[in-house]
Amino acid sequence: MQTRAARAAVVIGVIAAAVVLFAVLSGDDDEAPAPASRQATETEQKTSTETKPRARTETVTVRGGRAVGGVERLEYEKDEPVRFVVRSDVSDEVHVHGYDISKDVAAGGSARFDFRATLEGVFEIELESRGEQIAELVVSPQ
Amino acid sequence: MLGAALVRLLRRTTLALGAAASGALAVPEAASAHGLVGRADLPIPEWLFAWAAALVLLVSFAALSTLWRSPKLEEDDGFRPLPSWLSRIVVNRATDVLAGAVGVGLLGLVIVSGLLGTQTGLSNFAPTFIYVIFWVGLVPVSVLLGDVFKAFNPWRAIARATAFVASRAVGPLPEPFRYPRRLGRWPAVGTLLAFTWLELAYIGSDDPSDLAIATLVYTAITLLAVSYFGSANWFSYGEGFSVYFNFFSRIAPVAVKDGRLGVRRPLAALAQVDPAPGTVALLIVALGTVTFDGASEGALWADVGTWLQDRFVDLGFGAGTAGELSFTVGIIIGLLVIGSIYAIGTAGARTVGGGSQVDVARAFAHSLVPIAAVYAIAHYFSFLVYNGQAIAYLASDPLGEGWDLLGTADKGIDYGVIGATGIWYVQVGALVIGHVCGLVLAHDRALKLYPTIKQAVRSQYWMLAVMIGYTSFGLWLLSQANA
Repeated sequence: MQTRAARAAVVIGVIAAAVVLFAVLSGDDDEAPAPASRQATETEQKTSTETKPRARTETVTVRGGRAVGGVERLEYEKDEPVRFVVRSDVSDEVHVHGYDISKDVAAGGSARFDFRATLEGVFEIELESRGEQIAELVVSPQ
Repeated sequence: MLGAALVRLLRRTTLALGAAASGALAVPEAASAHGLVGRADLPIPEWLFAWAAALVLLVSFAALSTLWRSPKLEEDDGFRPLPSWLSRIVVNRATDVLAGAVGVGLLGLVIVSGLLGTQTGLSNFAPTFIYVIFWVGLVPVSVLLGDVFKAFNPWRAIARATAFVASRAVGPLPEPFRYPRRLGRWPAVGTLLAFTWLELAYIGSDDPSDLAIATLVYTAITLLAVSYFGSANWFSYGEGFSVYFNFFSRIAPVAVKDGRLGVRRPLAALAQVDPAPGTVALLIVALGTVTFDGASEGALWADVGTWLQDRFVDLGFGAGTAGELSFTVGIIIGLLVIGSIYAIGTAGARTVGGGSQVDVARAFAHSLVPIAAVYAIAHYFSFLVYNGQAIAYLASDPLGEGWDLLGTADKGIDYGVIGATGIWYVQVGALVIGHVCGLVLAHDRALKLYPTIKQAVRSQYWMLAVMIGYTSFGLWLLSQANA
């Protein structure tokens, strides 16, 4: 297939197929899957497989300067309210990167965070002076 | 990778010890990968991955069926000089000297701020400048605007200035030593390997003073090499960053030749790359290291990397070194994966003819350059767009002492400039475009290399498989990062 017309036809065909495919596939897109909820006892949560705003407060428990159960994954959609509590047996500063929100937590105390998930991405939450990541905040587009 | 490497180390150690002690699963440690600010990209959604993969296949088979029959990019790059008055505005003695001075100034600033400034990576000019502006930023700049680095290359500027002064002082300088053909681009490969190791594996990867010292050492080595082999050969073959950015600059539609600004056919200048020894290795390093960096954000590395680290700790290494060693192994795996794909592809192409496998590998090496460019762009785009903004306040306060030289010290990073969806489209779009460019270059070269069209097309099935392999792999990496 070497004639100019034939080549042009192929190019147009590819572009058309790409556009159609894109429309079909992106239309099917059902947002981010519901986050797996790992909760500690004191929290209330509403698990739902739909993408409605969730009203729950997650808890991140820090023992000995490390997050219990590994780095906690907090999943939200854009513009949802982000609510979580960090309970720590050591005193430090909890810093949410990207959003640049810091709160001190006393030894044996807790720090409560409540803000809107305006930025998309995967953000580190760490104990600032120890440089220890305790959680990650995952904000997906709606 | 970049960023609070010590932080990551502690985290890795924590996970390793935690996993060993309590049997808990290792959770992928996402956000530290582009560490300077602790934000990482979301994985591309499945539907986008599927679409991009489908498009790649579609385009590839369409290309196969519409391939042209005689080389279009091989003769020359179609360079057409711009009117000399226009050219002289951009390219003249003054801008030449000025650009070199700016380059040297920035080099000096990196060294000074690294050694004397705050040792917090985020607040110091050096790490952000080196990793974001220089290493990542120059890739798209080179692809679009040509060999910008050559103009600002501080080492080249120092060398030329020194030669200028010396020749005035003592008369004509002696001829430099002959640059051995066999040496090829291997020194450049060494530099890129060392730099990416520093960036990805080394504990103090964003430690300002470590970076400043590395910069000083590299400057000394480069200047020594230039005095031995001469500026022309060393910066064309031996100096890592010059070679790296020069490759990408050959994609650009603009160039400066013989002091004259002009336009040329995009990609064509890649066909003129001299396939010197080490060229293939350099591109494998470029691709393989970005590959590992992407893979390290995924769940597979969370398991494998932690396991490796445990093994090194078992062997008696300290936690820090164990971390460095495991990441070094990861880099090597990345190189092997990328290298094997190319080896298989060229072995297959060779069955059609074209000489030894080394000959074939070198013949098609230039077609990997667009793939390397888009791998870097896809992986580091958000890093550049977000962390790149930091240079605004870091330029005002390079040492982190609380200065405000340019009045921009209170600026922050605005994450609103582009959202996750925009980033996804850029990433996927880049990979697809890179794929097409790679195909075009490989096909064109095959037409030159093989005596019959039939053989050329047969060889292209192999190279096409390589390209599809790389592009799909790149897409896959994007889909499992921080998932």
